[in-house]
Amino acid sequence: MAKTHVRNNIRALRFQNGEMTQQVLAEKVGVTRQTIVAIEKEKYSPSLEVAFKIAAEFDEPLDAVFSYEPGSR
Amino acid sequence: MNMTFKEKSAWGSLAALSLVSYWFFPAAFTAAGHASDPARLVGISIGCIIALIIIETIYQSVIAAASGGASDERDALINLKAERIAGYVLGIALFTLVGHIIAVEAFQVAETMTALTIAVWILLTLTVSEVAKLISQIACYRFSA
Repeated sequence: MAKTHVRNNIRALRFQNGEMTQQVLAEKVGVTRQTIVAIEKEKYSPSLEVAFKIAAEFDEPLDAVFSYEPGSR
Repeated sequence: MNMTFKEKSAWGSLAALSLVSYWFFPAAFTAAGHASDPARLVGISIGCIIALIIIETIYQSVIAAASGGASDERDALINLKAERIAGYVLGIALFTLVGHIIAVEAFQVAETMTALTIAVWILLTLTVSEVAKLISQIACYRFSA
């Protein structure tokens, strides 16, 4: 199962924000829960818009939520 | 199983299309062989289209009612990837069919196909392309994207 080069710490941030569920985050951001699951597992890189929305939900700058890790893929 | 509406939809469409095609194509090729009775092929085709519409309408309504029918950017991306693969499959299948028709006409390597048989082959390439799209969608949902 190929991972993207975009890393994130959404899972940690969800728990730091009152154990927010994936469903709640998905509804706030306007995507399906399965998309949040795929982003957390680093199987899917979100669009910039969704990435900014996720960061805004946690009240964090974008680079505190997402980072780019060049790999061999 | 943890699936979006679009993935459930793809599974249902794949099952419905496979089921109808499994019955349709053997019957259609047999009917196309009887060039004197094209109405039989038309009847089979209309019957299968109606069956497919009924199955799809019921299934899609049920899953839309259950999961809300929501879709997002990931669904759109997966759909684009699947459409691209389906396009390749359709192109290859049609070129193969055209090549076969030309070879038959030019070199008499097999019995000349009737217009009805060619029509059924074209329907088969379209169906294979659609199946490729649905399988690609499901593979993307399960293993990547």
